[in-house]
Amino acid sequence: MDVDKQGRLLEIGPTDNTSDQRTPRQRLRLIPEAARASFVPFAPAPAISRQHEADMTRIAPGRPRAQGQPIEVTGTLRSETGRPVVGAMLEIWNANTFGRYTHSEDHSGLPLDSNFLGLGRVVTDEAGRYSFWTISPGAYLARPDIGRWRPKHIHVSVTGGSSRLITQMYFPGEENNVSDPMAILMGDAFERNIGQPYETPDSDVELGYRFDIVVGGRNATFFE
Amino acid sequence: MAADVTENTLPPTNEDTVGPYFPIYFEDPELMDISRVHHGLVVKPEGTPMILRGRVLDRHGDLANGALLEFWQANAKGIYDTPDTANHPDLDPWFHWYGRIRTASGAFEFKSIKPGATAGRAPCVTLTIFSDGISRIVTQLFFDDEPANASDPLLGALPADEQAKLIARHDGRTRDGYEVYVIDVIMAGEGETPFFDDFAS
Repeated sequence: MDVDKQGRLLEIGPTDNTSDQRTPRQRLRLIPEAARASFVPFAPAPAISRQHEADMTRIAPGRPRAQGQPIEVTGTLRSETGRPVVGAMLEIWNANTFGRYTHSEDHSGLPLDSNFLGLGRVVTDEAGRYSFWTISPGAYLARPDIGRWRPKHIHVSVTGGSSRLITQMYFPGEENNVSDPMAILMGDAFERNIGQPYETPDSDVELGYRFDIVVGGRNATFFE
Repeated sequence: MAADVTENTLPPTNEDTVGPYFPIYFEDPELMDISRVHHGLVVKPEGTPMILRGRVLDRHGDLANGALLEFWQANAKGIYDTPDTANHPDLDPWFHWYGRIRTASGAFEFKSIKPGATAGRAPCVTLTIFSDGISRIVTQLFFDDEPANASDPLLGALPADEQAKLIARHDGRTRDGYEVYVIDVIMAGEGETPFFDDFAS
């Protein structure tokens, strides 16, 4: 091991009170090689996806469409070396078109949409591909006291094999992107978390976004 | 990190915070109690049932509400279930080795089987914390009644006072036979728990 090597010092998200309360102040410690394997969780996808959960634009098949812009999100899940991650579970959640979550702890008071749940689960196919439909989420005022918004975003949690990643897909050209604390921490790498729009003439949605996901580090590379 | 990057390496997607609204709907009771297979089955994993009970606290000593906790561990014979151990004779077919709890308050109670010692290691549970305000932090928790702690390479890499922050204290046994271990995990500030870097290591 490189004697000068150090673990990362995590940064606190600007204007993010919770980040200030919860971000470790000490540098992360390096893991001795003899203990490294025990830090590579191997977990099967935790739950069974129901077919209709890939379409979050309705609460169930045959129900009315939710309000707002229906979109498709597609991409491929890969490890850093480019290997597709097959059979991984993506758990997806996002706010409705008004910026409100159906979560019981969202006390924002923004409007609910009785046709939108905002939850879905999909599994990557044999080429690591995934696809889901949802409603383009609304931005919401996260810090009314200082007028700081959360830009439109979709949460994605990836589990499967030794991949474990929670991330968010953002939208291009959103004015609130630049002031988002997590986006600020990502710096130029924020680009990687922006979905790339494409036309969807053959699908019953208004727009598609390509969001390829790469799971970083040695944790994604169990089989390599 | 830079030294590990080759031209064939794809830039990783940034980890991002789970935020405050990880869907409680995604909770799975079978991942919150891995001490048994299912409440309707008498078959069960081998080993000593345990409850790992604790609190996740922030810089002000307040509970870290809404945190998503994940637990990964070896079985009672010290075998991790991975592709490398697929044919290991000491694998326990009834033991599901991965748990997940979304804690509303910041306190948790994880029911499992006490892990055995893996070669060269003291028994431990790998804990991953996702929460609002952070992306992902990882550590390992040990048990105060394990002599192997003294020679564990991870604990050994830390000063004694830091080691103590990773060692859960035995606190009796429940009437239904679970050994109880308690620990506080402090995310930031005074008494901060040591966390580990699985990217840079």
